[in-house]
Amino acid sequence: MSSSSVSETGGPNFVRPNFPVKSSARSHRNQAIMVSLLIGCALVTLGTTVGIIYMLIKESMGFFAGDDINLWEFLTGTKWSVGRTQGKFDYGIWPLLSGTLRITAIAMILALPLGLVTAIYLSEYAPKSVRAILKPTLEILAGIPTVVLGFFAVKFITPNLLAPLGEFKTFNATAAGIAVGILCIPLVASLAEDALRAVPRTLREGAYGLGSTKLETTLKVIVPAALSGIISAFLLAVARAIGETMVVALAAGSSPTFTMDPRGPSQTMTGFIVHTFQSESVVPGTPGYYSIYAVAALLFLITFGITLIGQIVRMRYREEYN
Amino acid sequence: MANDYYSNPKKESGRKLKSNVFAMVCLVISSLAVVILITLLATIFISGGSWLNWEFLSGVHKEDNPEGSGIGQAVLGSALICLLCASVAIPIGIGTAIFLEEFQPRNKILRSLHGLVQLNISNLAGVPSIVYGILGLTTFVYLFNLVPSIQVNKPIPWEVGATHFYQTKTLGRTFVKFPAGDREETSIKLTQNEMCVDADGNTFELKLVDKRSEAPKDPELKKGYALRGRSASRLTERSPWYFHLPLGKSLLSAALTLALVILPIVIISSQEAIRAVPRSIREAAFGMGATRWQVVRKTVLPAATPGIMTGAILSMSRAIGEAAPVLAVMGGVLGTTSGIKSLMDQTPVLPVTIYRWAGDENAGFENASSAAIIVLLGVLLIMNSIAILLRNRYEKKLS
Amino acid sequence: MKDEPKMDNVATPKKTHGMLKPKRPTLSQRNDASPEKNEQKLAIRLEDFNAYYGEFQAIKNINLDIMARQVTAFIGPSGCGKSTLLKWINRMNDIVPSAWAKGSIRMGDLEILKKQTDVVSLRRRVGMVFQKPNPFPKSIFDNVAFGPRLHFKIGKQDLAALVEWSLRKAAVWDEVKDRLHKSALGLSGGQQQRLCIARAIATGPEVLLMDEPCSALDPASTARVEDLVYELREQYTIVMVTHNMQQASRCSDRTAFFFEGEIVEEGETEQLFTRPKHQKTEDYVSGKFG
Repeated sequence: MSSSSVSETGGPNFVRPNFPVKSSARSHRNQAIMVSLLIGCALVTLGTTVGIIYMLIKESMGFFAGDDINLWEFLTGTKWSVGRTQGKFDYGIWPLLSGTLRITAIAMILALPLGLVTAIYLSEYAPKSVRAILKPTLEILAGIPTVVLGFFAVKFITPNLLAPLGEFKTFNATAAGIAVGILCIPLVASLAEDALRAVPRTLREGAYGLGSTKLETTLKVIVPAALSGIISAFLLAVARAIGETMVVALAAGSSPTFTMDPRGPSQTMTGFIVHTFQSESVVPGTPGYYSIYAVAALLFLITFGITLIGQIVRMRYREEYN
Repeated sequence: MANDYYSNPKKESGRKLKSNVFAMVCLVISSLAVVILITLLATIFISGGSWLNWEFLSGVHKEDNPEGSGIGQAVLGSALICLLCASVAIPIGIGTAIFLEEFQPRNKILRSLHGLVQLNISNLAGVPSIVYGILGLTTFVYLFNLVPSIQVNKPIPWEVGATHFYQTKTLGRTFVKFPAGDREETSIKLTQNEMCVDADGNTFELKLVDKRSEAPKDPELKKGYALRGRSASRLTERSPWYFHLPLGKSLLSAALTLALVILPIVIISSQEAIRAVPRSIREAAFGMGATRWQVVRKTVLPAATPGIMTGAILSMSRAIGEAAPVLAVMGGVLGTTSGIKSLMDQTPVLPVTIYRWAGDENAGFENASSAAIIVLLGVLLIMNSIAILLRNRYEKKLS
Repeated sequence: MKDEPKMDNVATPKKTHGMLKPKRPTLSQRNDASPEKNEQKLAIRLEDFNAYYGEFQAIKNINLDIMARQVTAFIGPSGCGKSTLLKWINRMNDIVPSAWAKGSIRMGDLEILKKQTDVVSLRRRVGMVFQKPNPFPKSIFDNVAFGPRLHFKIGKQDLAALVEWSLRKAAVWDEVKDRLHKSALGLSGGQQQRLCIARAIATGPEVLLMDEPCSALDPASTARVEDLVYELREQYTIVMVTHNMQQASRCSDRTAFFFEGEIVEEGETEQLFTRPKHQKTEDYVSGKFG
């Protein structure tokens, strides 16, 4: 097998022969092929974004191309009945938008303070034993499919928590809001904890060195120093709540209402989209089909905008300490 | 005066007290997460625990019969879609991560493009999954309406792996079929003799007669005769590799859509795993004369694999629990009569089944839904445990 | 996954050190004894070489000849550009986005700085050993076989022979021969560094670049690596960056003293250390700054 000049072992008498060198051209060619493949992979994500934007613009235009539908009434109208009536219908987005905002507000009232306090506790106070329970709990909570939380809202939160408090309908904004809040808590907690942990040790030492208590150090030094990170966590949570679908589809009901009453049903933008799909009456070309895209375009605009701001704020705080 | 200013023990103890109280409040609030989780699990187990049995795990959905319904098809569907989705999203995700981490261009304009891709990915991670669902519907199901969409009782615009037949009943009361040829109607009238295949696979010529009396009396021979003008209906036989465009409401559409949903997660976690590989290892390989790709292929990737796999499993567990995009792409299917024969079939999946059962007016489905949730959570628990085990091993190895 | 061997199984270099240590001639003996001294061949020539990181000029107009089969040491205070120069000789600076250079580095007919120069075959001919031992998280065998597999069409048996030869050359064979297929990360720091040297010579380089190869090692391991450098100079041209002046005087033939990106003085090691021509050199080698 080996050439005659090569001794069989690499022992002390071994003379290193000149092995035939592989052409480096091949390695370079392989690299070029792989790089173009990798660029192809990276383009998939760009393509996804372009695809989403193109699709939403093109198909929403199909909605507004209709004879008696215009953008202004869509953005200001307070009645929505697309997909319910065949002939004449109302297409003002506010009932859906207010449903989304109502539920998001309830979710944030719950998730922001709870998530932040949990983050503070985890980063500043928690002894190892508590952390060992709390961290996995939050991870499990974050991994629970949202449809499960929707089920929880309908079957537990409404009958057991809300029913004793007043006249809550079977499907209501509050239960959905609480469930959305529950799924936002781990998100806020982990992002805010990252931000708090990114605060340099020296700042903590400085505050303790001046004789501050833990509370004073936390609230007066660390939280302000991590503020941009915390704000970004809040923004990402808001975007998540606005885009949350299965919880509201199950727990918030399917009637679009333009009220401030958190006890009644309130269909959200995402809820509307799911309910329309579920009815399987979506046929390309009909207003019902196009309305999905118009609603989705607005939903995308809002969530993408908030996420973008959140990401930029996050990048800035990362730069501050790196 | 000055003394008072410097030593005020009362105030100090008050401050300490406040700090301790705050710590307690924090602890109480933080443990709410634990309480919520326990309540949630308890609710579900109480409602669905007793429903778990083999019949439930292997059965199919039955209308208005929650006790007889099961999740066999849904579990199979979820598993298939998850595997398909992973086999698309994981290679693309790892490829993108390698490109972003290891092939940063020197050119300024290209560098800013690189940054754009990166920002875009973190933004995609924040896009609601229902929007991906609509994207999947438009792109995969309808192919941007570039080709006519698939409609009931109409021939499919472009397909491979399917053979079309017409099926008819002979005078001997048996079913026979014959190749459709160029004919596309959903049903035709028999006007000429056709080369037929019977149920046993034998080929013979089907003879047409105008009257029943013209056919032989013997029931066996009667099987070779049919009345002229009798209708034959279109029948399509699909091979396992059956494929058509647009993809229509199929499990392949759903898997591709879910792949887009988890792609940003796969990319971000792979990037983190790649970044954790020490720089010195790369330098060593470069110093030996490896090309950049060889450095990645032979040193970086092997070292980062456990980390990448951890992220991949976690993102797959995300895909398995997603209901909204599947609902958008496949509709709320609860069961199919024929089962899954090819990638072009519709299939129920666990989260959609849970959703539909939870919303069913028949209260019995509430328990079935809980039982399905237990199964789903069990699957997720297993996947997450594997991921955590991998992660722990990996962290030990790198340190 | 194989279990990584525990550190205490490793034969400590201290024990074997005394036995293996060759009796090294003193500097003057060496210079007289080296037969090739009279027919010195040029290995690498640098002309008007300048190197930059973005706007910052790290190396200013250097001219230097590096002789074949000799150890050339670069000394000087931190940040004086000696490591930068070393990394330009096999174009390792290509992976630093802001780094660029002008001038000329020639190795035989090859102009190293030219854009078209194939860095893959260049780095096969110019190997490198780094400051910190950086074995791949693979087996010892796979570490040494990494380069040959990249560059050569080589059969299994030949590869095994080459790996053994390289490990012997790097004076680490006896310590690792029983655990070739165990992870290299289980070796001690000194063994790892010698493994890295074995890995570098397995590709058959003409030049070996060593960037402070002993700075992360304990004194005993340092001595072993220094011995190795001395042995290897019979076959390879070695360029070594070092912070440690004793090390430069112990194992180099020629020394170049760098200061703020320029070569202040270059010459035979003994002369540079005992009779420096420049005040700066004298101050540095006598420890007045640095």
